[in-house]
Amino acid sequence: MKATPHPADATPRPADADLVLADIAGLLARLLEDEYGLDDVEIGMATTFNRDLELESIDLVTLSGLLEERYGGRVNFAEFLAGMEFDEIIGLTVGQLVAYVVTSLKAAEAS
Amino acid sequence: MAMVDTGGLRLHVQRIGPRDGRAATATAVLVHGLLTDSLASYYFTVAPAFAAAGLDVVMYDLRGHGRSERPSDGYTLDHNIDDLRALLDRLAVTGPVHLVGNSYGGTIAFGFAARHPERVASVSLIESEPATAAWASKLGGILDRVVAQLAHNEPEALAWITANRGHNTARLARGAARLARDTTLGQDIPASGVLTNDQIAAMRRPVLGVYGGDSDLAELAPWLGSLLPDCRTVVIPGHEHSVLVEAAGTVGGHILALIQGTSAARSVGAEAR
Repeated sequence: MKATPHPADATPRPADADLVLADIAGLLARLLEDEYGLDDVEIGMATTFNRDLELESIDLVTLSGLLEERYGGRVNFAEFLAGMEFDEIIGLTVGQLVAYVVTSLKAAEAS
Repeated sequence: MAMVDTGGLRLHVQRIGPRDGRAATATAVLVHGLLTDSLASYYFTVAPAFAAAGLDVVMYDLRGHGRSERPSDGYTLDHNIDDLRALLDRLAVTGPVHLVGNSYGGTIAFGFAARHPERVASVSLIESEPATAAWASKLGGILDRVVAQLAHNEPEALAWITANRGHNTARLARGAARLARDTTLGQDIPASGVLTNDQIAAMRRPVLGVYGGDSDLAELAPWLGSLLPDCRTVVIPGHEHSVLVEAAGTVGGHILALIQGTSAARSVGAEAR
């Protein structure tokens, strides 16, 4: 994991969510630039994929591939979304994905 | 993103399989519907459960749709059938595959199976029907309305859709308008070659038909069941044309039961949890 330096008093992993958010924001920025030519989109935990980023479901397939490139088989975005109702997917936030990735990475580390 | 060149046409393909290193037991090829649809309708619904059940799962975007190339013409059913054959050749999938098609994707799947029976093990139609003269005429009417209302009167049409169907549907409709305006799809689909009842009845592969109980297409279930020698139909109450996305677990369970040759369908994925 490409970790940015954190304060010395940080416990081993309190900033997981921040690191993962930075990762995912980077992947989304790449996707938005490649597909829509956008380069100035702000992405935070509360950002929604559908309403805020205007992503279509086919963009989420692309994001799934980017997540796999970044995290390997430890994160399965398709399975994550397949467990959701349609309305939940429409309302999905970056923060929910960050939480899922953090949980998946911890589970992979523990096993 | 995996782009596959099928010989002059680049198609976006996603392929997933069992994750535990087991060899796949069979290949399922999932074909999506017209205009607003893409392989995402499978990728985030039934595909993960199919892969977990041991299948090699191939999904692709039809020409003009999703991330596939968008030529300005060549949108008849025969073009789509040829694209599918070229794709399977290019992927070196030579054994019989289980075809699954949603809406127009099922019409492609059935047409492919009628033309290349040796390459098909079964056909699952979701909210779909074989290409008949009645089908071509119905699609012609729908596409005329799309072209007239969406492609040539887009701002008003999109405002109505946003107000009545929501932001997400309006965004999908904008993509559909672009496809209808930029290509010959609207003229090509209704001009497609169709099958006679005798040709449909000659299908020797097992066929599953899944319909939403509130969909206009549900009335096709008895017709299909009586015409085909080996056909099972399922009508899922409380759903319309988007039953694949809305009731993915139930739909996927019926398809897996057909593919695995079992009689009892078990719900897969979301609804099973």
